[in-house]
Amino acid sequence: MGDSRSSGDRHLFLVARKPRFGLPTACPSCLPVYLYLKLANADFSVEFDSSFPDSDHIPYVEYGESVALNNEKGGVIELLKEEAILDLNAKHTSLAIPDLVSTKAMVSSWLYEAILYELWIAIGGDVARNIYFSDLPWPIGKILHWKKIYDVKKLLGVTKVNCEERELEIYKKANEAYEALSLKLGDQVFFFDNRPTDVDALFLGHALFVLHALPETSELRSNLLKHDNLVKYAEHLKAELQLDSTPSSTQPSSSSKDASTSSAPRRKPSSGWGAKPNPKPKKEKTEEEKKFRRRAKYFLATQLVAVLVFLSLMGVPGDSEMDDEDAVDYDEE
Amino acid sequence: MANSDPIPRDQAPPSDSEETNGADEISEEGEEEEDTEYEEFEEEEEELDPVRERERLKSIFRRLSTDPVHVRVHDVVIKGNTKTKDAIIEAEISDLFKKPRTVQELVAAASIANARLKQLDVFDSVSITLDAGPAELPGTTNVVIEVVEASNPLTGNVGVFSKPEARSWSLEGSLKLKNLFGHADIWDTSGAFGWDQSLEIGTGVWVPRFKSVPTPLSARAFLLSQDWLKFSSYKERLMGLNFGLLSTNNHDLSYNLTWRTLTDPTRMSSPSIRRQLGHNVLSALKYCYKIDRRDSHLRPKSGYAFSSTSQVSGLWDLRGLKFFRQEFDLRAAMPLGFWNAALNVGLSAGAIFPLGRNFTKLSTSVPDRFFLGGHSSLVCSLGGPSSLLGFQTRGLGPNDMRRVLNLNKDEGSSVQSDCHDFVGGDLAVTAFADVSFDLPLKIFRDAGIHGHAFVCAGNLAKLSEGEIRNFSTERFLKTFRSSAGVGVILPTKFFRVEVNYCHVLKQFENDHGKNGIQFSFSSPL
Repeated sequence: MGDSRSSGDRHLFLVARKPRFGLPTACPSCLPVYLYLKLANADFSVEFDSSFPDSDHIPYVEYGESVALNNEKGGVIELLKEEAILDLNAKHTSLAIPDLVSTKAMVSSWLYEAILYELWIAIGGDVARNIYFSDLPWPIGKILHWKKIYDVKKLLGVTKVNCEERELEIYKKANEAYEALSLKLGDQVFFFDNRPTDVDALFLGHALFVLHALPETSELRSNLLKHDNLVKYAEHLKAELQLDSTPSSTQPSSSSKDASTSSAPRRKPSSGWGAKPNPKPKKEKTEEEKKFRRRAKYFLATQLVAVLVFLSLMGVPGDSEMDDEDAVDYDEE
Repeated sequence: MANSDPIPRDQAPPSDSEETNGADEISEEGEEEEDTEYEEFEEEEEELDPVRERERLKSIFRRLSTDPVHVRVHDVVIKGNTKTKDAIIEAEISDLFKKPRTVQELVAAASIANARLKQLDVFDSVSITLDAGPAELPGTTNVVIEVVEASNPLTGNVGVFSKPEARSWSLEGSLKLKNLFGHADIWDTSGAFGWDQSLEIGTGVWVPRFKSVPTPLSARAFLLSQDWLKFSSYKERLMGLNFGLLSTNNHDLSYNLTWRTLTDPTRMSSPSIRRQLGHNVLSALKYCYKIDRRDSHLRPKSGYAFSSTSQVSGLWDLRGLKFFRQEFDLRAAMPLGFWNAALNVGLSAGAIFPLGRNFTKLSTSVPDRFFLGGHSSLVCSLGGPSSLLGFQTRGLGPNDMRRVLNLNKDEGSSVQSDCHDFVGGDLAVTAFADVSFDLPLKIFRDAGIHGHAFVCAGNLAKLSEGEIRNFSTERFLKTFRSSAGVGVILPTKFFRVEVNYCHVLKQFENDHGKNGIQFSFSSPL
């Protein structure tokens, strides 16, 4: 028994968390990797994992017999670059590299911390629960949620004593990052040389998550909305990359519960958390409904025809009873 | 009583002259003789009484054992229980003393009652006496049950064992606290530490009956962690509750609610295992039917045994694991008539199917699948396909290639760790034949040490994820692995040791079969 993905086959398999809020994957760690593959025009399929919300190796990308895990060597994107599988930065000149590296460091640290704080501490549990724990039984999801909040507080150094101070610090850094990025972007399509880089993947993932997944009451979202060019940049690339359509996923190969998550999302996005109405998923649902109804009609019609044929061939049930009575009378005689 | 005349009739009466004195003397002498003779007669009677008494009792016992002596139980009196509730003891024996109409039936019922009360394991001794009933009610008896409660309610034991499902040996210890609340309840805490750093801790309670439920009930909380990194690249941690709902000699029904987590700290797992990592809930009802008519479960020489285990998972919420699992195990033993030899044969089979729409395309959870291999005894273990001597634990069957690490991309070198993960099978079949015999030396025979020769075979197949369409019975039979060997079995007080030399007759690529000597330790009970 061997893996169907044999060595030498450069089709990539991305395993990420499930889509939600109109995004191909709702996890802020998985979305940049997805966007990186999209920007690189890579040939890849997506599978969804909903049973391991507290893992740090997801997202991961399988290529041939190897795999790039998120908890190794700086993450999936760095590993893909190191292995020369996909390197968006390869075509950029050496002059842009220092600027690129420092921008990436700012996005990977300040904005990453801001997302962590906003998602797990600031806005309450619904968004995080919908992304990570909705497919697990409630007690387990709840325990893992509390554990994750504890881990995030420990990572960010947030305590009861310094909570407000830390919040101000995190938002201040995020604002500074937004301003710097807004200045850097200007009217360009991409941040560097009008070509996509890993910085675009990282920031686009951040921006789309903040704009679509976080509620309107989110301070981080309000801060981002102040920078029109960043918002336009995100929406433009979202349309350009056709992120509105649900990602094609391979047939689920893991546990049975993935069957409900790896196909096109059938659940409605959670209400009240900034989910924007999305016309294309509704159209697909309507087509599916039509198909289902058509098949149901065919089935019912077939059953009705079968019953009618049976009745016409076998006769009315009452006739057989009369025949039996006649038979009894005959026997008695 | 005695009918003989005390005065001999052949003696002449004495003369008058002498009669007076002589008569007096004679009469006195006669009286003395009479007294002496009477005393002698009484002594003879006393000597004859014990003999007659013994005879009388023997005839009574003969009558009691052979002839139906009608009797009725008037009352059951319980003595000696200071902590144990009367209701618990009465519930164990109430049905036994209603039906007997004869002494023989009553004695049989008393022995059953004695066994049942001892089985509760909360008494040091149990004695049942049949006493005479009230004088105004002839033909009745009172049953007096006298129990001595355990003087020390806390007991413990320690042992070293190897289990079929474990990777290696484990040190197990348990503490039991008996009769804490007087309901014959047994509270136990157990721990097992494996050589491979696996750990199991559990605590539970067992009661013989609870309110209107007449069968034993048990509840257990456990925490178990097992390391399968070497064979399947994952570590397993289970935390949960187990409830025994029905437990009789043949039937066992239990409910299991477990939170299972699979992790891979090495990050070297194959794609199949990688997709199984994470959290799962197992909410399963398990029914086991077992019948064992063998004369011994350690060295059976005659009889048969059958067990069937059915498990349905996915009972709570729609987000847990959903599958149906079935196992069968059939054994037979027959004596061969020489060297105290016996032939044991066995056939086991098991299958697991996911539940849900398009179930043929769904996958099953790796820990719930079947694995073959290991050193556990072919004859003693009864409970589905698991053991195949000569092969390592989880050493054969469907497998997937592990991760390849690209160390130096320029030179193109790469490292592949230990090649393959065994992912288990959805269908498993094993069979064996074992001949046990006494060894020539008397010292071995006296110690119970005996030899055996065996041949066994088994195979696994994947049916999930659409593979059922590719399944072929002919290919399944052709790909059976097999092994043969001989060995010596040493039953000791603390554990049962098997030392076997195995020779693998047939194995396939990636199987971990190895010729050589293997050791197995199991419980002596």
